Amino acid sequence: MTVRRFHAEVATAIGTGALGAAAVIGALELGHGWSESGPESGYFPFYVGVILILASLWNLGAAIVARQTAQGDDGAELFLDRERLLRLGRFIGTMLAFVILTVVMGIYVGAASYVAWNAWRSGGYRAWVALAIGCGFSVALYLVFEVAFLVPLLKGPIEPLLGIY
Amino acid sequence: MENFDLLMHGFGIAITPFHLMLMVVGVLLGLVVGVLPGLGAPNGVSLLIPLTFTLDPTSAIILLSSMYWGALFGGSTTSILFNIPGEPSSVATTFDGYPMARSGQSTRALTLAFMSAGIGALIGVVVITLLAGWASRFALRFGAPEYFAVYFLAFAAFIGMGSASPVKTVVSLATGLLLASVGMDNVTGEVRLTFGFSDLLGGISFLVVVIGLFGIGELLATVQEGLRFRGVSSRIDLRDMLRTIAELPRYWATTLRSGLIGIWMGITPGGPTAASFMSYGIARQASRKGAAFGSGRPEGIIAPETADHSAGTCAMLPMLALGVPSSATAAVMMGGLMIWGLTPGPMLFATKPDFVWGLIASMYVSNIVGVILVLLTVPLFAALLRVPFSIIGPMIVAICFVGAYTVSSATFDLWLVLVFGLVGYVLSRLEYPLAPLVLAMVLGHKAENAFYQSMVLSDGSLGIFFANPLVSSIMVIALALLIVPKLLHIGARLRGRRPASQEIR
Repeated sequence: MTVRRFHAEVATAIGTGALGAAAVIGALELGHGWSESGPESGYFPFYVGVILILASLWNLGAAIVARQTAQGDDGAELFLDRERLLRLGRFIGTMLAFVILTVVMGIYVGAASYVAWNAWRSGGYRAWVALAIGCGFSVALYLVFEVAFLVPLLKGPIEPLLGIY
Repeated sequence: MENFDLLMHGFGIAITPFHLMLMVVGVLLGLVVGVLPGLGAPNGVSLLIPLTFTLDPTSAIILLSSMYWGALFGGSTTSILFNIPGEPSSVATTFDGYPMARSGQSTRALTLAFMSAGIGALIGVVVITLLAGWASRFALRFGAPEYFAVYFLAFAAFIGMGSASPVKTVVSLATGLLLASVGMDNVTGEVRLTFGFSDLLGGISFLVVVIGLFGIGELLATVQEGLRFRGVSSRIDLRDMLRTIAELPRYWATTLRSGLIGIWMGITPGGPTAASFMSYGIARQASRKGAAFGSGRPEGIIAPETADHSAGTCAMLPMLALGVPSSATAAVMMGGLMIWGLTPGPMLFATKPDFVWGLIASMYVSNIVGVILVLLTVPLFAALLRVPFSIIGPMIVAICFVGAYTVSSATFDLWLVLVFGLVGYVLSRLEYPLAPLVLAMVLGHKAENAFYQSMVLSDGSLGIFFANPLVSSIMVIALALLIVPKLLHIGARLRGRRPASQEIR
């Protein structure tokens, strides 16, 4: 499993082009022309969207041209090799789990588990040390945000049981 | 002398115990942010903005700008001690800073970097002090078409003068403009581009986007490299430090030249990163012993550091006077200003002199505070990087998400950070510039409003952008910035003077 730069370039160009297309479609629903009082609200997004589509097409073309000229010397450049892809995949996977856990259980439980899990699995700390690091981090978050700056953070079902609102 | 009186008044505001404390806190936070990978200056300032809502704007901007200076200092620390630039703008410092530190002269390298950074920042503030009044008076003559022309100029400068592919810059700018237009249209009051998602009604906060793009995105780049920090000794030896300070005057020419480059790149939208590279390159060309660069030459540290900081400071001038930030961090700060209910631009000087001059005076003080603090605390912050990445990395991730949540207490923003983190990683790997995206997001509404008002004034004729000498000269400069660099490039290619392998993109 590897990702080539060519594929990354093409996927990105298609992605930005799709964003432009979405803007154009949205703007067409609103009206992109002129009304009595000046441009309609879709005017600006419409033309920015058109520019974005054109620029994305250009980038797509540039990527294809670059690949054809590079074909002679040893194929296309690698974007991610197997090892990096795995490393990134693991990191993003745990990050995704962290976000899901945070949305369900609140930031404190999410952050404590996420930090503890990483310290345990990839840091090689003993489980109870890792758990202590995670909980210590959450307590620090609580002190900095809720106590010092009076900014409430996302809470889950557990905090009310501990008397924290 | 009018500026001088105002500046003195500003010092009266900036030098209070509370504000001095904010500067110390800001610089220290900035150092943390600058030292840690994944927490850059734009991202750090974004994380801090929601916490400043309870402060008054002057105190808030002093805190944020101090953090910016701290982050610039912190970025150079890791460049020198670990060969890891903490900030993109301190990449050029690694070229000579790390070799010098590795040869046992880490105190000398750090002192050179911090002192010349401090001098660069002071050069920048002096320029701001001298030009601020004039720039704002000039800008008072601006109407809607002139403002649109200035925004267009900022966009054109990024496209024409940036180091990235111009078409990729266009993509970045257009994406930022579109993201800014999601939600309520502030002219007609219609809801746009939400596609029925109620989470998008309030629009997409640029703070959340910056945290994703710069915070998570940069962290993913760090993870991909499987980074292990290999540092050199970070002890500061007092005698070495004093000896280095005494040797500084010898490099006055390099310092002055780099300061000027920084001023130019800071005021025009080149930004600190471009300034530091350019300054390093010119210092290498100007030096007779050109070959020794890269092996720990003092000029190789002084040049990028001075330019980096004077550009970083000067970026505040167009932001305050015109409302056009020229770096990503300045863009974020300007967004903060608008959240606090201030309108950056010439009227700010007339209506809020305390704010403007308090900020300018605080730049003098906090940069001096910064140099002293950074010299005192370097060993402490260097120790931060000895904490294993498996602990510090997840903590940075968690702080980024917490910071995004504090912007508007919406869980939807957590998902946005995740998405923009991935987007930021891919875009920066593919050499799409990210600063224009942030700039466009912050300026999007203002640019659209200015365009709308101009169109109403002229009944829909684009001729209004060439209707008087002021607006047409701005437009001509903008178009020239857009076209000339590429024409020169094509011209050089046609003449075949540059072999294809050496082309500068």
